Amino acid sequence: MNDTQGWRRLRHEAVRAWIIAEKDIRIYYAKPPVIMWGIALPFFMFLSWSVGRNRPAGALIPGLVAITVFFTASSIGPVVIPWEKRVRTFERLLTAPVSLPAILLGKTLAGVVFGLAVALVPLLAGLALGAQVSDPASLIAGLVLSSGAFASLGVLFSTLPGQNVGSVMMPATLIRWPLLFISGVFVPLAALAWWGRVLAYLSPLTYANDIIQRAMGGEGYLGSALDAAALLVFWVVFLLAGLRLHELGRQQGS
Amino acid sequence: MSDAIEVEGLAKTYNEGRRGVAPVKAVDGVSFTVRCGETFGFLGPNGAGKTTTINILTTLLPPSGGTARVMGHDVVTDAYGVREEIGIVPEISNIYEEYAAWDNLMFTGRLYGVPRRERERQAEDLLRAFSLWEKRDVLSVGFSKGMKRRLCLAMGLMHRPHVLFLDEPTSGLDVQSVLVIRDMIRRLRAEGVTIFLTTHNIEEASQSCDRVAIISYGHLAAVDSPENLKATFAGMQSVEVAFTGGDAGAAGLETLPGVHEVRRNGDKWRLYTDVPGQVIPAVVDCARSCHLTIASLNTLGPSLEEVFVKLTGITPPARPAEAMEGNGRGRPGAGQRRLG
Repeated sequence: MNDTQGWRRLRHEAVRAWIIAEKDIRIYYAKPPVIMWGIALPFFMFLSWSVGRNRPAGALIPGLVAITVFFTASSIGPVVIPWEKRVRTFERLLTAPVSLPAILLGKTLAGVVFGLAVALVPLLAGLALGAQVSDPASLIAGLVLSSGAFASLGVLFSTLPGQNVGSVMMPATLIRWPLLFISGVFVPLAALAWWGRVLAYLSPLTYANDIIQRAMGGEGYLGSALDAAALLVFWVVFLLAGLRLHELGRQQGS
Repeated sequence: MSDAIEVEGLAKTYNEGRRGVAPVKAVDGVSFTVRCGETFGFLGPNGAGKTTTINILTTLLPPSGGTARVMGHDVVTDAYGVREEIGIVPEISNIYEEYAAWDNLMFTGRLYGVPRRERERQAEDLLRAFSLWEKRDVLSVGFSKGMKRRLCLAMGLMHRPHVLFLDEPTSGLDVQSVLVIRDMIRRLRAEGVTIFLTTHNIEEASQSCDRVAIISYGHLAAVDSPENLKATFAGMQSVEVAFTGGDAGAAGLETLPGVHEVRRNGDKWRLYTDVPGQVIPAVVDCARSCHLTIASLNTLGPSLEEVFVKLTGITPPARPAEAMEGNGRGRPGAGQRRLG
């Protein structure tokens, strides 16, 4: 394959990844499991944590935005892929002239758009309630990179065994849940014990929360550049791991 | 190019190298070719290896051994090239039920890079050909099984593939859908599209295919034209009869002219013959003379299991559930015995 063919193929792959994302956006955003696991659950959980605490709304918003991106973006993969495997539309994608990386990139893009769109709701509500954005560029970069990292985490979750959405989503939620408590959302990183901070550095939510907090006038613990770089690394690593596990599953016929 | 599909020593073993799980050899050294423009039937009972073979040829599964090429593209090293050449209609209609028929076709066309005007024209032609034009804007979740299968076939043809894989295309469908699909197969055949058709229905293969391969337990038993295979099956036709009001066992069915074997299946008697047309009047006469009433009378072709045994001369390994249940038309088993 020469350079021209290589670029043409790459462009085709990118276009087809977007076509897949667009289809997922149209078909799956309104599916009950996506609404329940991706929007309702984090919203009510945040509500139960924040109600009764004597903190201004503006101070709560960055955490809510981070949680919203985390849950929404990571919900698309473990809902859509098992669903499509069960009704065998995933096979349709696998037998089309599009590579597995492009298919998974399409699924990730659907998660990114979902995460960004839903995160706008608490963000705009927060701005209306007095929250401020001190560094718009960091906020945009943080939201996009966080959505990418969490959406590819969702693609990784989708490799959990099972073609039933519930059987994939339950363990995925069990993994997501503890991350909330070690990522500086509810308890600031500075207040964590040393071992707590070590654990926090392993969680992508830590960097998402940190960059959004700083961009909205809060006190960040790490630098924005470090947060952004870490989120990019998580995005790539989760996507590559998901790709590898999907490839292994395909070889076994699952 | 004369061969659309070339398969050499193809093998697939599931659970290979997995600890604590027994490996399962689904396809074992299968070789055949399908010529360009040919309609090729791939017959076999459930679990024979048909779907595994089709999954390898359509690049869904990597083989454990052997090679397979579709339109000159290797299924392992050039899967992308294979996918551009093929259309697939799986046994389960994998349409997007949340989409209308039109949107399903538009999505498929875009996925295969069909330009906008061409995909709109092609979609309209296909929807009209499959009697779905009036339903083009209706969500396909409400479609009947036959309509879904027709839509699935239309999706498989959106990019005008050179090779079309059809997995049990008419299984369990209503008459209208069966007729529409068979007509489309005939049209595609006339247009020179290579069709790879898997089925467990000998009659369907006989009507549609230029050549037929029979696979069972992962081995290829025969590849030949339907007429040649039918000649092999000639001695395996049978007449099945059920009586009421008397002892059929004493009627001497095995002595009727043209009958070379009689087996009992529950309340039915199966008479194996080369000449069912000659045996039927003899059975009626026999019933009359023995004061028996005929409850049902059918002529039957051989089951694929029987054809396999006949062609290979070997008995397939027993599979506990299948061996006894099957379709009641195979090897002697529970409830079957020879008369006399």
